[in-house]
Amino acid sequence: MSFLTRIVGKSTSFSGIRLMSVYPQHYVEPIVQKDKQIEQKDELTKLHHIPIKAALNKSSDTVFHDDTKEKLLNYITKKGNSALARTLLSKAFELIKRTQTERLNLAKGDKDKVITNAEVLLKQAVENCRPLLQVTAIKRGGVTYQVPVPITTKRSYFLAMKWLLEAAREKERKVSLPEKLAWEILDAAHGQGRVVKRKDDLHRQCEANRAYAHYRWS
Amino acid sequence: MKMIRNRLAVQLQRHVLQMSMSTNAAAAAAPAEGAAISEFRTAVTNPGEHSALQVAKFYTIPAEQKKQIFAGGGLPKQYEQQIKTFTEACLMVRNPALEVLEYIKKADLSKPVVRYLLYGENGTGKTLTMAHVLHYGALNDFLLVHVPWAPNWMKRPKEASNAAGQEGMIDLPFDAAAWLVHFKGQNSKLLQRLELKTSKEYVWSKRESTPAGSTLLELVEHGIARIKYASETTAALISELKLLSTAGKCKVMVAIDGYNAFFHPVTRIFSDNKQRVTPDKITLTHPFLNITRYDWTNGVCILSVDKIAMTEGHMDSYMPRYLLGTEGFEHLDPFVPIHVENYSDKEFHSYISYYLDRHWINKTPQGFEEQLKFMSNKNPYALMQLVRAL
Amino acid sequence: MAVRVFGVNLIKTNRNLLQNACKTPATTFGHTAVAQLATEVTVQASPAAVQKQKVSKAMRAYLKRANEHDEFMKTQHLEFQIGKRHLANMMGADAETFTQEDINEAISYLFPSGLYDPKARPAMKSPEEVFPARKAAEFDETGRPFHSMFYTGKPNFFQLLHDIVEETRKLADLEERMLRRGNKPDENQKLEMSGFQLLPKDQLELVLVESIADIEYSNFTNSMDRLIASPYAYKSKAFIERFLKPLLDQSKQLEVPKPKIDEQGRQFITTYECLRKTARADVTIRLPGTGKISINGKDISYFEDENCREQLLFPLQFSEMLGKVDVEANVEGGGPSGQAGAIRWGIAMSLRSFVDQEMIESMRLAGLLTRDYRRRERKKFGQEGARRKYTWKKR
Repeated sequence: MSFLTRIVGKSTSFSGIRLMSVYPQHYVEPIVQKDKQIEQKDELTKLHHIPIKAALNKSSDTVFHDDTKEKLLNYITKKGNSALARTLLSKAFELIKRTQTERLNLAKGDKDKVITNAEVLLKQAVENCRPLLQVTAIKRGGVTYQVPVPITTKRSYFLAMKWLLEAAREKERKVSLPEKLAWEILDAAHGQGRVVKRKDDLHRQCEANRAYAHYRWS
Repeated sequence: MKMIRNRLAVQLQRHVLQMSMSTNAAAAAAPAEGAAISEFRTAVTNPGEHSALQVAKFYTIPAEQKKQIFAGGGLPKQYEQQIKTFTEACLMVRNPALEVLEYIKKADLSKPVVRYLLYGENGTGKTLTMAHVLHYGALNDFLLVHVPWAPNWMKRPKEASNAAGQEGMIDLPFDAAAWLVHFKGQNSKLLQRLELKTSKEYVWSKRESTPAGSTLLELVEHGIARIKYASETTAALISELKLLSTAGKCKVMVAIDGYNAFFHPVTRIFSDNKQRVTPDKITLTHPFLNITRYDWTNGVCILSVDKIAMTEGHMDSYMPRYLLGTEGFEHLDPFVPIHVENYSDKEFHSYISYYLDRHWINKTPQGFEEQLKFMSNKNPYALMQLVRAL
Repeated sequence: MAVRVFGVNLIKTNRNLLQNACKTPATTFGHTAVAQLATEVTVQASPAAVQKQKVSKAMRAYLKRANEHDEFMKTQHLEFQIGKRHLANMMGADAETFTQEDINEAISYLFPSGLYDPKARPAMKSPEEVFPARKAAEFDETGRPFHSMFYTGKPNFFQLLHDIVEETRKLADLEERMLRRGNKPDENQKLEMSGFQLLPKDQLELVLVESIADIEYSNFTNSMDRLIASPYAYKSKAFIERFLKPLLDQSKQLEVPKPKIDEQGRQFITTYECLRKTARADVTIRLPGTGKISINGKDISYFEDENCREQLLFPLQFSEMLGKVDVEANVEGGGPSGQAGAIRWGIAMSLRSFVDQEMIESMRLAGLLTRDYRRRERKKFGQEGARRKYTWKKR
C-alpha cells in the first residue's frame, strides 16, 4: 500500500473533501464577480465568519473576463499552456468578428439582426448545442442497453463546449484552430453545422430508446 | 559635419517658428477647413493640408491611391486586414507625422538631402507614420523610392545567387525584381509625365545593353524582364535618380522601413561556404546606402529603425545609436531623429470611438476604456491585440 | 450474622454512593468543570467491618494508582510553586505577584530557543496544563461504579447525549403546549448561530475527559443540530452555549493599517512581504494618484503576458480605484505569473486602507485578500510526477 493511501486512510471518513489541498477543509470558494456577489447578498452573511480561498490567477472581474470564455479556455489548454489557449481564442473571436462585420456591411435590410458581439455568439452557440439528455450503457441480463438519462446543467455545458472543440480539431491540418473554431461557433450560433447535428442525433437516439428508460431503476 | 548639423539645426528652428505662426494664421483664416464629420474623423484627405487641428482624427485614403502606393507593401499585415474588414483605409493624424510633413514642406530642396529617422518602441506607429508621409509624397509629385521592409531581404530572400559582375557578392534576383515592380507601380504616371532619361550607357553582358538617353521606365522594365540583372538595374536606377534630382528634373522621396537591417552584423543568407553573410556583401544594400547619403539635392529621406528589424538576437534598446551601430550611425550622421510615442489620451479616446463606430468593440461595460488604457499602456499595437477579443 | 453485616455494608456503601453522587454532579460540564470530573479520590473513612472485607487485587491496584496520581500532582504543584519563587528571585521580581506571563517571559529570556514549533521550546506551566486530566475513581473500594452508565465505557459522553435528548423532549413538549394555547415562539430571542460553531471533536474530548469515535461525534453533532433547530431553542440557551465555539469575524481579524504621509503630502501605504510561489514583492500605493503603475522602475510593459496585466488590473478595478491611485512595486524571484500574483495581493492589501469596510468584505469574498500559500507539490517515488502515475501495464 503506497503511503498516499495510508494518509487517505487516516483522514476522516467524510467524503467529498479534496485530499491534500493546501487549504483547510472549512475554507470556501471565492465569489469573484461583483454581479454574483450582489445576487447572492442574503447568503453572504453566512460567509462573514468563514475564511475564503484565494482567487485563482485566471479569474478576474474585468471587461476581458467571461465565464463561458474561461471554461472554454480551460478546455483548449494543453499541458498547462493557457497563454497559448488565450491567444488562440482571441484570434478565433477576431475571425468571428471579421466575418460578422463583413456580413453587417453587406446586409442591405435589417442591420440590427446581425450580431457582431463574439461573446454573445459564443453563448448562443453553446446554448444551441446543449443536450438535454444523454445515453448511458446499462447492462441487464447480458445485454447492454443505451438508456436515456437526464443530464446536469454543468455537464450539458461541458459537452457542448467539448463537441465544439472536437469538431474544430477534426478538420485538415493546414487550417488553424482559431479559423476552424470560428466557423464552428458561427454555424452553431445560427443553428446549423456539425455540432448542432451531433446534439440532434443524440436527442433522436434518446427518443428512439425511450422504451428502455425504465432500466434506469429496473 | 558639425557645421552642417548646426546649420540644419538653425534652419529647423526657424522652420518650426514659421510653422507655429502659420498654423495660427491658418486657424484664424479657415476654421471650416477641418469640417469634421464626427469628432474623430476629418474630411481632409490631402496630407498636405493636415495641421495641428486634425491631430487625433482619422482621414481616409481613397482606394485607388492606396492601391497605387501600397500595392507592394508599406502597411503592416494586420492593418491591411483591418482595412478589409472596415472597408476603408483610415489613418490617424499624429504629431510625429505632422512634424515630418512640416519639415518637408518648409525645407529648402536646393540644399543637401535631410535624413529623418523615426524611432520608438515596438508597435508605436513608425510604419504608419511613414505611410502618411508617403501618401503626401505621392500627391505632391515626389518620386517614391520605397522599401517596405528591408529585413525581408536579409531574412527571407526568395533566392540568393552569386553576383555575376562583382566577386564575392550575393545577388537577390527575385527580390530586386519585385522591388522594381513596386517602384514601377508607385511611380509609373510620374515617370511617363516627366520623361526622365538615363545619362550613360549600361552594359549588362556581351549582347545586352541599355543605351544612354533611354527612359527610366525602359530601364525598370529591363530589370523586371531580365531577372538576372535586376540587382544591377536597381543600382543603375538609383544612381540615375540621384543625378536627375540633383539636376533638378525631379523630386525624390526615399522611404526605407527597418533601415538598421542594413547594418546588422549578420543576415540569414548563406554563401557558398555555408557561412552567414554580412549585409554589405549583398548587392541590394549598396544602392540604398548610396541614396541615403547627403551628396545629392532636391530630395528627402525618411528612414526608420526598429528593434524587430534585426536579423537575429534580442535588442535591448530602441535608440538609433544602439540599433544602427557605429558604422550605421556614422553613415547617417547628421540626421533628424523623430520619436514616435504611445498614444496620448486624446488619440486613445479617438481610436476607441473609431472602433466603436466600426462595430469592432462590442462589449462595453462601464469603465472599459480605462481598463483598456491600463492594460495596453496606450500602446497602439497592444490596444489592437487586446481589442481583438472584445 | 453475615446478612446483618452485609446489610450494614449495603447501607454504608449506599451512603458512600449517595455522597459521591452529590459530589460529582453530572450536569455541569465546561472548561472549569474539568477539574470536577477529575477530582481526587474520596475514600471515605469506612467502618472496620467494611475494611475487613476482601478487596480484589485489581481494585487495590487501581486505588493505589489513583492515590499515587494524587500524590504526584501534589508534589508537582509544590515544585511548581518553588520553581516560581526561584524564578522570581532570579529575575529580581516580587514572588507573590509573579504571574504566568511573567514566568513565560523569564523562561524565554533565560532559555532562548531557536526551535520552530512553540510547543517544542522550554516552558514552565502549571501541572494542570501540562498533565492531561484524568478521571477520578469511577468506582468505590467495593467495585461499585458511581456513574450509572459506567459500563458503557464512556459514561460522560452518553450522559451528555441523554441530556440533549432530554432537552429536546422538553422543548418539544413546550412547543406543543404553546401551540395548543395558540402562542408562537419569540422571534427576537432566536439563537444566533452565524458566529458560532459546535465544539470540534478534539475539544469535546478534552471537556469530557474521554476519547470519542467519529460516528459518536457525528451523533453528537446531529443531535445538537436538532436541538438548536427547534423553535424554542432559546430556552435551553445556557445548555447549548456550553458546546458552542465562537468564530472570529474574518474580515475584521486583520488590522487595517493607517496610511502615512510622504514628502509631497500624499497618503501612502506599503505592504511588505507579498509572497506568491517564489516571488517576493513589496507594493506601495499612493493616494491621490493618476493611475500610474511602475514595477521595478518600468511601467506595465514589464509584464508581456496579457493575463499577468489583467491580474494587476483586477483589484484596482474591483475596488473602483483605477485612476485614483498610483502603484509602485518592487518584485524579485519567481516567474511572471507568480510575480503578478504577489503584486495583486499587495495592491489588494494596501487598498484596504483607502476603502470602506463594505468594500473590504467584498474584496475578501472575491478572494483577493487571502494569501495564496499553494506551492509546487513534490514528486513522489513510484510515480512519474506529483500525481501522475507510471503507465499501467497489464503484464
